[in-house]
Amino acid sequence: MIPLIVALPLLTAFLIYLALPIGLRRIVKPLFLAGIFSPWFIFLILVGKSHLSEVVGGWSRVSGIEVAFDFYNVYFILAELILFSLVSLYSITYFKHRSVEKVYVLMLLMHAGLLGAFVSRDLFNYYIYMEIASVSSFALTGLSEEKGAKGAAFKYLIFSLLASYFFVFSIGLIYLKTGYLNLKLIGENFTPSRELNAALGIAFTSLLLKAGIFPLHFWLPDAHSKAPTPISALLSGIVVKAPLYGMLMLALTFPLDEFLKKALLLIAFSSMFFGIAMALLQMDAKKLLAYHTVSQLGYILLGIATLNFYGAIYHAFAHALFKGGLFLSVGTLINAQKTKNLKELTYRHDKILMMSILMLSLAIGGISPFIGAFSKKQLLNGLVGCELFYLAGIGTLVSFAKLNYYLLTPGKAERGDSLQRAVSITLAFITLGFGIYFLPELSLKNDSLNILAALILFYVLKKMGLFRIKMKAKFGKLGREINFYSAVFALLLLLFLLKLF
Amino acid sequence: MIDAETAGVIVMLIGFYGMLTKENLIKQVLAINVVSIGLVLFFVGTGYVEGANFAIAPNENMVDPLPSTLMLTTLVVDVAITSLALALILRMGREEI
Repeated sequence: MIPLIVALPLLTAFLIYLALPIGLRRIVKPLFLAGIFSPWFIFLILVGKSHLSEVVGGWSRVSGIEVAFDFYNVYFILAELILFSLVSLYSITYFKHRSVEKVYVLMLLMHAGLLGAFVSRDLFNYYIYMEIASVSSFALTGLSEEKGAKGAAFKYLIFSLLASYFFVFSIGLIYLKTGYLNLKLIGENFTPSRELNAALGIAFTSLLLKAGIFPLHFWLPDAHSKAPTPISALLSGIVVKAPLYGMLMLALTFPLDEFLKKALLLIAFSSMFFGIAMALLQMDAKKLLAYHTVSQLGYILLGIATLNFYGAIYHAFAHALFKGGLFLSVGTLINAQKTKNLKELTYRHDKILMMSILMLSLAIGGISPFIGAFSKKQLLNGLVGCELFYLAGIGTLVSFAKLNYYLLTPGKAERGDSLQRAVSITLAFITLGFGIYFLPELSLKNDSLNILAALILFYVLKKMGLFRIKMKAKFGKLGREINFYSAVFALLLLLFLLKLF
Repeated sequence: MIDAETAGVIVMLIGFYGMLTKENLIKQVLAINVVSIGLVLFFVGTGYVEGANFAIAPNENMVDPLPSTLMLTTLVVDVAITSLALALILRMGREEI
């Protein structure tokens, strides 16, 4: 039953290309929607039962590929399905390409790839499905007409590919040491050794690069901000969660080395603050959101580094919803007003988008009763360094105070497409709904203090002229940029290897 | 003599060196292909058993066929991504390189 969740979108992607040559262009759109929505049926059948796992084709676990459906991936799959369903509705009015079926097929492949990666409990199978999703995302990022989008897609492709090869290399090392690719069998049969530690170091470094966590974040802001809006929502919302799911699986299977845990904790905190600092300096609305992804991924990594898997899973779920919603809402404004500059954008005339962006900003800032409040509370369990955590929360709020401040200033009054606006507000209400479902209590005192602190800080920073600083591109050529950042990756890899091997 | 695994790792590092030093985008795509070739060599090496036979069923003593099969899949991914990368370079045109 579980493999069907992957098979249905793949099948419809195939059928779309079969329908074209025989002149059935009008069924492309229904097929696309069928492919996006059909996994819901499988999900709803499976969701009541706990701890399902099966080996595809009825083979034994040693020779087959195991897929599972349990607590560790149900929220990833749910977030994936919610986001894809809404984004597919959004993209129907968004994409006006001559050959729009290409976009649909690539989105279906991404859908299948992500679902496949999330159900997989076999290292190599996980890699293959993640790769299917990534290849579609490179192509979809490159579709954007914006200047620099092709370069961003190329950078994304090169680094993601480099990370994949090193990840497969570490899978090879694990296979060499244990003789299995199945995570459960590996967990039962491994003996700790230096080689295994080194393999874990390589695997984590390459997954960090693939997820785009500071200091390996360099491809993320460009790719996520220059992609077409619905694709940005998918990339930031759910594609970056696939590598994090891999890290989660590795952390569940192997006992992590003390050094590795400390290093991941350090990386998590620095990613949280670096993302916020860079977001504060951006005047490009989508880039601001993209840098917030870097920061929020730090939160999820924090959960993994402190072995607080509940926190990591819930925050990954929450982030998928609110970041997807933010990209869609802001993207609708950008689409209608034809600019990405925060100073020119406005939501003043459009009460629906204003409400949706305000609600989602509160959700990402961790204000109750939105879902961000619940997931951040979960992350705090067993964490040392709570002060830093609260500080990061306030920083996030400051940066969203900035976003809302600039959006409030009047500008061109052009309304976006009504379906796109409806989708945006739906996601905002979904974050509210899940927030109330998980944690139906208000913490008014804390929240109002946080918001007040954020507003004061925003005012001070604005008076200091922080938002007038202009960022300049550091590298003249794309090639040189790739050289430099490969060196950063090499250094981090070397550091992990020297410490762990 | 070095074994296939070590050789594979060395080839991977040569490819990585290309990523670090070459500015030309096409050369970078080629460098990453070298990394992938090294990876394939490494994997095929992990399945090697000294003096063993080829991996067809009624053999008693045979090499491990799994790594080689896995590499077939990786090669397919590799072909897809290389073509996509080259297409992107073409689309970028002159202004961005």
